[in-house]
Amino acid sequence: MKRNMKRSLAAVLLSVLLASPAMSALAAAPVEKIQSMLARPPILCGRFDQTKQLVGIKKPLLSNGRFCVVNGKGVLWRTLQPFPNTLRLKRDEIVQMQGGRVAMRMDAKQEPVVRMINSVLFSLLAGDLSQLDTLFELDGSVQGNSWKVALTAREPALAKAIGTLALTGGAYVKTVTINEASGDHTEISFSGLQSGSGAMTAEEGAAFE
Amino acid sequence: MALIWALAVALLLAHNGYLWLVKGVVPDTDILALLPVEQRDPVLQQAFTHMVDAAQQRVIVLVGADDWEHARTAADAYNAVLSKHPALLQTGIKMSEQNQQDWLAPSQQMRLSLLTPAQQTLLREQAPKYWVDTALQQLYSPFSGPKLGAWQDDPFGLFSGWVQARAQETPVRPRDGYLFVEDKGRPYIVLLMNLQQPAFSMATQQAVLPLLEQAGNAARQAVPTVELISAGVVLHAGAGSAQASREMSTIGIGSLLGIVLLMWLTFRSLRPIALIMLSIGIGCMAAFSLCWMIFGQVHLLTLVFGASLIGVAQDYGIYFLCRRVSVDPSLGSWQLLRRLLPGLALTLAAAVIGYIGLALTPFPGLRQMALFSVLGLVFAWLTVIFWFPALLTANTLKSSTFAAWVGQTRRHWPLLGLNRGSALAALLFGIFAVAGITRLTVNDDIRSLQTPPKALLADQIKLGKLLDAPTPVQFYLVRGATAEQVLQREEALKQRLEPLIAKHLISGYQAMSNWTPSMREQAANRALVTQALLAENGPLKALAVQLGEDDGWVAQMRSRALNAAADANGGHDLTPAEFLKSAASEPSRHLWLGKVNGAQGSVYASIVALRGLDNYGNLPVLKQAAEQLDGVSWVDKVSEISSVLGYYRQYMGWVLLGAYAAVFLLLFTRYRGAAWRVLTPPAVASIATLAMLGLLGQPLQLFHVLALMLILGLGVDYGIFMQEQSMQRDRFAWLTVGLSAASALLSFGLLALSGTPPLHAFGFTMLIGIAIVWLIAPCFSQDLQPEKEEQNANKN
Repeated sequence: MKRNMKRSLAAVLLSVLLASPAMSALAAAPVEKIQSMLARPPILCGRFDQTKQLVGIKKPLLSNGRFCVVNGKGVLWRTLQPFPNTLRLKRDEIVQMQGGRVAMRMDAKQEPVVRMINSVLFSLLAGDLSQLDTLFELDGSVQGNSWKVALTAREPALAKAIGTLALTGGAYVKTVTINEASGDHTEISFSGLQSGSGAMTAEEGAAFE
Repeated sequence: MALIWALAVALLLAHNGYLWLVKGVVPDTDILALLPVEQRDPVLQQAFTHMVDAAQQRVIVLVGADDWEHARTAADAYNAVLSKHPALLQTGIKMSEQNQQDWLAPSQQMRLSLLTPAQQTLLREQAPKYWVDTALQQLYSPFSGPKLGAWQDDPFGLFSGWVQARAQETPVRPRDGYLFVEDKGRPYIVLLMNLQQPAFSMATQQAVLPLLEQAGNAARQAVPTVELISAGVVLHAGAGSAQASREMSTIGIGSLLGIVLLMWLTFRSLRPIALIMLSIGIGCMAAFSLCWMIFGQVHLLTLVFGASLIGVAQDYGIYFLCRRVSVDPSLGSWQLLRRLLPGLALTLAAAVIGYIGLALTPFPGLRQMALFSVLGLVFAWLTVIFWFPALLTANTLKSSTFAAWVGQTRRHWPLLGLNRGSALAALLFGIFAVAGITRLTVNDDIRSLQTPPKALLADQIKLGKLLDAPTPVQFYLVRGATAEQVLQREEALKQRLEPLIAKHLISGYQAMSNWTPSMREQAANRALVTQALLAENGPLKALAVQLGEDDGWVAQMRSRALNAAADANGGHDLTPAEFLKSAASEPSRHLWLGKVNGAQGSVYASIVALRGLDNYGNLPVLKQAAEQLDGVSWVDKVSEISSVLGYYRQYMGWVLLGAYAAVFLLLFTRYRGAAWRVLTPPAVASIATLAMLGLLGQPLQLFHVLALMLILGLGVDYGIFMQEQSMQRDRFAWLTVGLSAASALLSFGLLALSGTPPLHAFGFTMLIGIAIVWLIAPCFSQDLQPEKEEQNANKN
């Protein structure tokens, strides 16, 4: 049995978000408040703008595109600029498409952690803090119509691997900031948000099937 | 004489008592102890012990539930019960809080030297644009997936890909300090336990099985919908023992009652049965004591078969008893014995000659069995000779009407002669024999000897699928003069295995060279990456253009990659010796045998294990993969043990034929032209049994042949009794044969009802064979005038 490899690999490598054995009983009061402020529609689509600042590369890497979060189905992340690339997260698989070709496919059968990654990403984009609470320590504050939350992974090894996350928003999540231990920094902001059945284009709907 | 014998028996009794009670000896149960000592290949032996010893002490339980919380609750309840018995089961391989960050450090430093086969192909075949696109995609993607360390250290994601390939060697993952696998959305917590006591010991089984049951109940109580899947050698062994003891009580009691009833009807006394038991008991004790002194160990299989072969010893007692009731009461018991001695001596000699043949085979198990049987027979025989006349006087036994009736029935049997009826019978038998025996197949597969309960088997299959663990009994053994040579040979083997993975014959392999390639391979990997990615106008340069970086950046990235490789691990290549020092190696340690003392001095050896091997039909293909590869051998212990059973069967078969010849020569010295009459009934019965097996489609195995040995032993006795009768005009010989055959059928034939395949095979052969010997033995008697016999009877 290779139990130890299982331990190390998954924890360190796969950015799996592990919950600590001791679960915090209840989210702090501001988190509950934030939770109540969020709209959380069944379908949410919009534009994203991403800025990545990597150690060793002078210029920031800018990209933008559209995303959709569909309750019960998953997440579609379509980078349009500077070059098209589609990432689709379903319950049991992660598929990355590049120019019509499948660049990467990981399914839960091969990699059981896929499902956990997907649920975390979905929760992040949908602002489902109650889900994230099992995995992260949440530190939130509310000011008028807007809120912000800092997330730190409860598992130390994991915290070291993925760094810290921060979310801001109002009725929807507005920005996601990722600060990695290596010094790499990513900021994603959302705009033009639409909810309801008309939010998704036909093309996007097809990508989920 | 009787007194001297009493002294000998007292000594035996004392020695047995000492062995069982004082020393507390346990018969050897290791099936491998029965195999010829493999002096030819100690490395192979060591590799196998290495793999199997650990595997058979393991118990794995999967605790499945609808969601993670329930699975955790159930697993905790399960563990709580087990953790109270650390002396029995070592549990709780829970993760510590230790920082796992540095585990891969040695590999990470050597990242330029580590490539998966798929990456090697891509690096050779893909244009620079492919690598630029890959790098950019990872740069822009928000969730670049697996990522280790700084971007600069792995711009093309090669190391991440390599690590991912290592991670996919198993589906088991850690979570909250547990190990788990998932199947169709259901989480299963994996509980690994190690037995602290031998799995094949009955005591272990009796302690562990209820404990696991109790733990299972606790888990079910905590979470009623919990699904428990258990596997482990001890569960199979336990189920086997339980079935055996269940059958012992039903079949055993049935046959004992039958025999007691039979003896009562014949002699109207229970003393005969006590006497026969006494003779067999002394035989068994003597055989055990002496075998222990000679071999220093007695195997369980020896006890089982040896004790049943000693069953032949009942004939001596029965013969004496039947003659005692049949002769004139005025004849003293000692005088009677003197009259019977030639026949008795002949039966003993015939049996001893038959079994001594077993001792000539190269198998330690058969030798032990032979000696055990011969010693047992001699001691049982001596008990009859020395004690029976003293214990039985003419008045002890009365002839019953039942006995008289049985004796009379013989008259109804037709006698074989040179007539049309006999010819027809012979012809019919010939057709039957040819038709059956031509259909006879053989099967020595050890798997066919086991019938694990269906639920246990289903669990085993499901667990195997969920864990995708390598099989411990089939693997490749790789040898070389140095560690480097072993790794290079592994790599040659892996090249042959890759196509088999593509064809889905196996799902993957585990090898030390997956983690530490040979130095040759490491250098080749470095050269490949340098040439394909870091070259002057290669992908790195193109990437710099895309990112708006200058030539200085390219030079810096390039030297960063190359220097890391040069400086890693103090400037040394990664070697198994280095790698084994790191924590990341723990799961692969069992694969590396390291320096092993072989027949030609010491060699280095390793194991390449296979995953996802679920179709045994593919074994020949896997065997073929190792062919013509230097230092690589395919090890398949299942088929190896099966082939040993096959050798046992073949050797036994020849010994049986040899025994017929030897016994014939022995009989010839006394009966001359009538010797064939003694030997034909068991021969005919054996042929008929084989034909019957052929017609029923039951394949021949070792246990059938062992039963045929016993049929020869008993059959010859019957023939001798009948011949002695012809010479001495005694109608009670037929009663002797009837009693002996009936009790053999009751004691061995009833085993045909057993659900354990070897016992069933043995019992079934005995049932058919002994019944036939019994039925046809009278036909081969020499012609006696019926009136004469009538007169004889009247005289008595």
